[in-house]
Amino acid sequence: MNIHEYQAKKILAQYGILVPPGGIAYTPSEAKRVAQKLSSRGPWMLKAQIQSGARATGHFIDHDAGGRGGIRQVTQISNILYEAAQMLNNTLVTEQTGDKGRLVTKVYVEKYEEVKHPFYAGMIIDSSVPCITLLISEVADENIVTLAQRREKILRLNLQQDSGISDEQIFQILDFLSLDKIYLQSFHDFFGKLLFTFINLDAQMIEINPVGILPDKKLIALDAKIKFDNNAMFRHPDIVRIHEDFEEEKRHRRARLCGFQYHEFDGNIGCIVNGEGLALEAMDIIQSKGYGTACSLNVKGGVDKDKIAAGIKIIMTNPRVEGMLINIIGGFLRCNLIADGILEASQDVGLTVPLIVRFEGTNKEEAKAILQQSNLSVVFADDINDAVEKLLAQMEVND
Amino acid sequence: MSILADKNTRVLIQGITGTQASFHVKRSIENGTNVVAGTSPGHEGEKHLGVPVFDNVHNAQRQFNFDASVLFVPAMAVKRAVREAVEAEIGLIVSIASGVPVHDMLEIRAMLKGSKTLMIGPNTPGLITPREARLGIFPDNIHQKGCIGVISRSSTLTYEAVLQTNEAKQGQSTVVGLGDDMIIGTDFREPLRRFMEDEATKAVVLVGKADNAYEQLIAEYYDGLAVKKPVVAFVAGEALPFGHTMGYAADIITHGRVTVADKKRIMREAGIIVVDQMNDIHNTLQELKI
Repeated sequence: MNIHEYQAKKILAQYGILVPPGGIAYTPSEAKRVAQKLSSRGPWMLKAQIQSGARATGHFIDHDAGGRGGIRQVTQISNILYEAAQMLNNTLVTEQTGDKGRLVTKVYVEKYEEVKHPFYAGMIIDSSVPCITLLISEVADENIVTLAQRREKILRLNLQQDSGISDEQIFQILDFLSLDKIYLQSFHDFFGKLLFTFINLDAQMIEINPVGILPDKKLIALDAKIKFDNNAMFRHPDIVRIHEDFEEEKRHRRARLCGFQYHEFDGNIGCIVNGEGLALEAMDIIQSKGYGTACSLNVKGGVDKDKIAAGIKIIMTNPRVEGMLINIIGGFLRCNLIADGILEASQDVGLTVPLIVRFEGTNKEEAKAILQQSNLSVVFADDINDAVEKLLAQMEVND
Repeated sequence: MSILADKNTRVLIQGITGTQASFHVKRSIENGTNVVAGTSPGHEGEKHLGVPVFDNVHNAQRQFNFDASVLFVPAMAVKRAVREAVEAEIGLIVSIASGVPVHDMLEIRAMLKGSKTLMIGPNTPGLITPREARLGIFPDNIHQKGCIGVISRSSTLTYEAVLQTNEAKQGQSTVVGLGDDMIIGTDFREPLRRFMEDEATKAVVLVGKADNAYEQLIAEYYDGLAVKKPVVAFVAGEALPFGHTMGYAADIITHGRVTVADKKRIMREAGIIVVDQMNDIHNTLQELKI
């Protein structure tokens, strides 16, 4: 689960981490008022609040938004109105949003902070150790996925959950950034608080891109991105409350509310499976035959018939889908629940595309019987290769 | 012969009175699993599925000895249940629930370190030695006793791998579902080490997937083994666009661009036979002439 930059900064500030003073604005005049309240003189920063990185290098689709990106430095108070008006209610595209971009409904206005030596800091969980790992990089204006490919440019430090960050590790950071030892205390303070925040809030990732050094040697978080562990949100009702789900696409949201995983791609085959591995396998085989997956729904160990029906409807009503493939190997999940779900969903929204079903495992014969007794035109397959071949054959007939 | 569990393994079920536990443990008992007792807070003194129920592991252990515990407790209770089992020094834990918080898993791994307990899962179908011990939720109509060890990082592809060993007419010695989650109790290495020592196991099938570094770890480990049995591996997720993880974006960030193709190459270089489709596994196994 992600939250906005301004929300993340508010959380960091609650944990004692320094952030620039700022306020949120929904209209240009509000932006101006916030700016005046923050400081009598510029410059200020105007930051589009969408849940995406790389906003500075992004561009707005709309012509009236001007040529600048989603992060704008403004020097004159008179220009705040103009720049905020360009950003608000226009759509920002970044390399992380896809072509559709995201609508900017609010901007965050901050006092511009003069800092030295900005650098990237990321805290994430390294599953292979496993531990919390701190990533430090000089290159503050590149995104981390690009950075990940250039390992020599990243310092990685494995942190102890109980004992925190050692002085030795702080010296490693200072050395890596070619900074003097006089910064020991302020770095210790900053990263100690960041780790505490990370553990306390069940974060999966915190990225500060960049961290800046103020004239008094203190560190300040000029940006903030926090990704929380969905599985731990039962411990954090306050975070669930501030989370806005309207940035999520409708189908994704519906799937999430059912407790399922849902992903969309560029192809035209819809897959329903009960496991991440099965989803990947189906995608691999579809691709090997020269086709593509439109979407993939993983109902995991779902045992609620209504939710399964709702999930199947998500795929049935996706306009990209020209053929459906259901591949279920029942263990915990019982195949007959999927069969019931298919019936219920097709009664509600109609089955308009070819459907191939492969059942294996728990209650597979009951499941087959349920579909055979219905009047749906369902084709059964023996294994996943067979299923994909039968589906492609039917889709070609339909063309 | 088998690894980790057989018909003599004395099994405890933590969270035995739940609906899913009841459904699956009943089937396990019918399959010959030696289920000795269960726990469920507030149910001490009752009998469920024919075995005595205790409030906690500590109380159960006063009357019985256990070699393994299967956790049917919900995700948010897994950490506490693991702690009970580790304190009771039970040698093997199998945890079924999906959705265990990742920070809980960090704590659990710290608990397991230096303990006498090996943990399989979470988010796994479990561990099965056909006709002897079913510690989990495996479909019961697909397993055949045989000579192939199976270790899988994907719950549902475990079943596909099992079907492949059936088609090769070789069956399974033991099947280990490591779990789908980002952090798991144990990775490929420990089960593989045991399969290498197990007389009944002639070859091993590994199922890996995109995300995480577990496949690289097993490649290094296998490469360093002095005595090797053949290992056939499949890694799912080749068609997944880079940067689009099926859930765990953080792992791409940690490990840089390690694609499924990279994993396959690393495994091949270590001497593992890597197939491109699950369906190729049965032919490959037959060609081994074991």
